[in-house]
Amino acid sequence: MKKFLSKYSLKYPRSLVYMLQASEYNIVEFLDWFRRVKDFAKVEERKTLVKTIKASLLYAIAWNLFILSFAIAIASLWFFEGVRSLLVFLVIFLFAPYLTLYLLSLCTFLLNSVQRPIERIIINKAKEKLQNHKALKIGIAGSFGKTTMKEIIKTVLEGSKNVAATPDNKNTPLGIARFVESLDGDEEILIFEMGEYYEGDIKKLCEIISPDIGVITGVNEAHLDKFKNIERTAKTIFELADFLSKKEGTKVYVNKESRSASESAAHIKNENKPFPKVIYYGHGGIEEGGGNWKVEGAETNLSGTSFILKNNKEEGVVVRSKLLGLHQIGPLAVASHIAQSLGIKLEKIELGLKNTKPFKHRMEPREDAGGVLVIDDSYNGNPDGVKVAIEFLKEIKDKRRFFITPGLVEMGRKTEEVHREIGKELANTGIEKVVLIRNSVTPFIEAGLKENNFKGEVIWFESSLECFSSLPKRTINNDLLLYQNDWPDNYS
Amino acid sequence: MKKTIGVVFGGRSVEHEVSIITAHNPIIDSLLATGKYNVVPIYIGKDGSWYSDPAMNDINFFRNDLEEKLKKLKKLQLDLNNGLQIMIPGSLGSKKINIDIVFPAMHGTYGEDGSLMGLLRMANVPFVGCDLFASAVAMDKVLTKQILKAEGVPVVSDVWFTKEDWESKREGYLHKIKNLRYPLFIKPVHLGSSIGITKINPLADQEKNLINAIEVALHYDEKVLVEEGVENLVEVTLPIMGNDEPILASIERPLNKTEFFDFQDKYLSGSKKVGGVNNNYSEIPANIEPSLAEKVKELGEKTYKILGCSGIARVDFLIDSVLNQVFVNEVNTLPGSIYQHNWKKSGVSNIDLVERLIKFAEGRFENQKNTTYSFNSEILNQYKSSKNQ
Repeated sequence: MKKFLSKYSLKYPRSLVYMLQASEYNIVEFLDWFRRVKDFAKVEERKTLVKTIKASLLYAIAWNLFILSFAIAIASLWFFEGVRSLLVFLVIFLFAPYLTLYLLSLCTFLLNSVQRPIERIIINKAKEKLQNHKALKIGIAGSFGKTTMKEIIKTVLEGSKNVAATPDNKNTPLGIARFVESLDGDEEILIFEMGEYYEGDIKKLCEIISPDIGVITGVNEAHLDKFKNIERTAKTIFELADFLSKKEGTKVYVNKESRSASESAAHIKNENKPFPKVIYYGHGGIEEGGGNWKVEGAETNLSGTSFILKNNKEEGVVVRSKLLGLHQIGPLAVASHIAQSLGIKLEKIELGLKNTKPFKHRMEPREDAGGVLVIDDSYNGNPDGVKVAIEFLKEIKDKRRFFITPGLVEMGRKTEEVHREIGKELANTGIEKVVLIRNSVTPFIEAGLKENNFKGEVIWFESSLECFSSLPKRTINNDLLLYQNDWPDNYS
Repeated sequence: MKKTIGVVFGGRSVEHEVSIITAHNPIIDSLLATGKYNVVPIYIGKDGSWYSDPAMNDINFFRNDLEEKLKKLKKLQLDLNNGLQIMIPGSLGSKKINIDIVFPAMHGTYGEDGSLMGLLRMANVPFVGCDLFASAVAMDKVLTKQILKAEGVPVVSDVWFTKEDWESKREGYLHKIKNLRYPLFIKPVHLGSSIGITKINPLADQEKNLINAIEVALHYDEKVLVEEGVENLVEVTLPIMGNDEPILASIERPLNKTEFFDFQDKYLSGSKKVGGVNNNYSEIPANIEPSLAEKVKELGEKTYKILGCSGIARVDFLIDSVLNQVFVNEVNTLPGSIYQHNWKKSGVSNIDLVERLIKFAEGRFENQKNTTYSFNSEILNQYKSSKNQ
């Protein structure tokens, strides 16, 4: 009933456009979301409609369609007579929100078709500019940890080289093309984050960028809703390695700890192609054909992570970073390795490593006036990220630890398994408080907790907003709160 | 049945805005977070009008166009007949809400000074925080010092006078002030949040500055206090809660940027922080010698009891860190944001704090019930008969 009535709310047209924008104007996804919405007056909660030209245009169209469909309903009262007029009125009135919906979808489709050729021109221009650009190009692909990898490499190199990297989460062909447009042309290193949503995406991006070095951060269940199975995800991400095999002098760094990724990398090695040279990285350091870089004395706590990277030939690289968690060792080692291969001096590398610090909403610590420590990991929405967050909490002693999560989205048929596993890990680690937001997936976490005899307390909240406002009122000095993941509106 | 808590804030006070913050962070927000209470916001405008609207539970209500919003609301009526009821006039008759417990969140005049407590005593409704007597005494810095001094609690030397005294016998007071050691602090007697306070350093034109400072203080108050400054000064404060068995929070040392903790320091410079009305420039627990800390705790508890505080209060101290002397400076019966940041650091969460304060309010109310306030007397009959004679 609420759903029905909310389609007649004055917020309905705006909500539709917001939903279109949030699903990146993908009509199938948009219609899918439409079916799931319970109250159209409350769709726009976490984010708001960004008034781009396209969104504004669609917003105007949506309102016109909305009014027009009701106008037709009322006009029908004059066209027909007696009971029939009322009947026709009622039918049109009932279908008015749908009329708005489908006509709006049609308009979006038409707009998309006009937009695509324009986008292609922009992308081709970018491709051309990159082909003539002399910089060393690094492409980063993977289901998780791309942004962190990009930022670490950039920070370590930028003290010695002129480096540019794709901003924020801009990892689509158009986003990258816009970034290329902004380049001066004299950069020495270009770093690209490559997003994968559908098969062929990475291949397309490689054709634009033509990378010299690839980094594959891992393969997991992220976006499994779209890829259906993890093999397909791996294949898409490894389109990067396929591309590099066609280019001389290339190399690819692969996260050894990600099982799917290292399996796929083994296949490439077996093919015995001269390129790319496969280099593994992980907690243990760097493994390449010629020799290894070993990690010694690794430590992590609330003030950062430190270790020594021992190389066969020279004295070790002393790594002191403000990043939290042992999972940062791999990316820090990759950055050191790339820096060394570029001939950067040891002191400069160490200084660059020292400058690496937590990124916004990714294992980012802060302390409030009451002595409560908060680790904001709200941009972390994948199972491997959750695992490292829990592993980090394992290192923290003498504190009341709160793990706060609404669960993960887009896990497809692995949803139950992934969440049960999180619950089991939390129970094994002996976390004191697990805070869950009530939705379709968190009961699986609870089930996992029970399965492994969780001894702590489970606290439930009906919504994230309620949780965010209530938790600070329940905590005291020396408590540690880790906020993991925040669901976008299209999943809640 | 959920208990209904009325949170009273705003009021005719220079600390009106601070009170709005205290009421929301932490009081209303924490009460709502418990899920155990109906929370009724009761707002007193700067002109003294009373309002209540559920939207006032959100602090954003007070951010923009407050005047316009208030114009649309009908003013409250109060019923004080054996309990407190508020009546909100509406188009279909007035809505009556019974308030089980009142949570005062007012700072300064007409609220923290005992006025509100008097009204609530008349209504026979339990309320959080200090009672009428402690509130009224603590509001007057001179009276507080006089009582503490009589009980042997160390306080710094001072001279005080009213506006009338100053106008008629200025020279005499200036002469008395000459016996005090500089630097001097000039304070309006009844105000909190360091409003109207000036520090006078021993400079060439110290007397001119002194007179100016007194004029400033008299602008805010009828009664002014001129106090001797403490050398090698370390200022600390100690929040305390409870009725007969006071519980101490941590000793806190404000690490202010300017020479002394003024209104700007306390409330404005830390505006980006999320700790309520108190900013982050403090050290909790204060890094002072253990013997001094012990002294502070002992004097804090003693002061709390001498003034008859209950529920919650905060005692401020001045320490001469070289001579190891501790003086009680003043008592605040409703500290800004009830010093939730300090309690939190001392192991009491916001929710825990407001719930304990409600328990103390109920406990005190029960005790007072057992005191007999009626006495059957024949005096009226006798009076009547004597007239009939």
